[in-house]
Amino acid sequence: IRMGDKPIWEQIGSSFVQHYYQLFDADRTQLGAIYIDASCLTWEGQQFQGKAAIVEKLSSLPFQKIAHSITAQDHQPTPDSCILSMVVGQLKADDDPIMGFHQMFLLKNINDAWVCTNDMFRLALHNFG
Amino acid sequence: MAEKPMWEQIGAGFVQHYYQQFDSNRGLLADLYTEASCLTWEGQGFQGKNAIMEKLTNLPFQKIQHSITAQDHQPTPDSCVISMVVGQLKVDDDPVMGFHQLFLLKNIDNKWICSNDMFRLALHNFG
Repeated sequence: IRMGDKPIWEQIGSSFVQHYYQLFDADRTQLGAIYIDASCLTWEGQQFQGKAAIVEKLSSLPFQKIAHSITAQDHQPTPDSCILSMVVGQLKADDDPIMGFHQMFLLKNINDAWVCTNDMFRLALHNFG
Repeated sequence: MAEKPMWEQIGAGFVQHYYQQFDSNRGLLADLYTEASCLTWEGQGFQGKNAIMEKLTNLPFQKIQHSITAQDHQPTPDSCVISMVVGQLKVDDDPVMGFHQLFLLKNIDNKWICSNDMFRLALHNFG
């Protein structure tokens, strides 16, 4: 396996994304480790500040089963040595129809661990008008 | 009008300006980028203002119209603003398509410029 060709930010970003959705789908109450007290989440337009509030929101989302499927992901380094990751994909919650979603993560290296300081999630729903 | 946090005002101001400019004359978007800016357009990477502008001005359509469905803004730990947009666009006589875009804005010399830009059409492989 030739792993050496991808830029470091792409390796870190895609690793994080893979880990995030695997954990989310298996047991989202365990996502606390990737956030810190300075983290912000915007979930469908609602803001949550800090690890505890974020994990509370994610844990209390009203579905039992969820499966995410990533259609595309992009990663870039930022001027402040962070990593920006954008994901376009689809998800299926319980017996609901499949829906498109869009999510972004800003990752920062703190004490040798990559944490998520900024997280934004939106379903790809439009008002046709 | 004073209720919105600063980062939301900056982000929303930028987003409005970006799409208005893109739809009327995208050649004038150059001011929003610097030599350090990165654009990822449908998975292709472009580094620096010149490369970015070349890509945007060479996009193969005459008319384009963006419509924003939702936008979210947050402050980052390094005093930047991050803005995520979900919307729809119509190019020439093509059908309306969904898109997603992300901007990281940085204040340089009292001006908010775009250091990171990512664009994707909302197309999925049904499988």
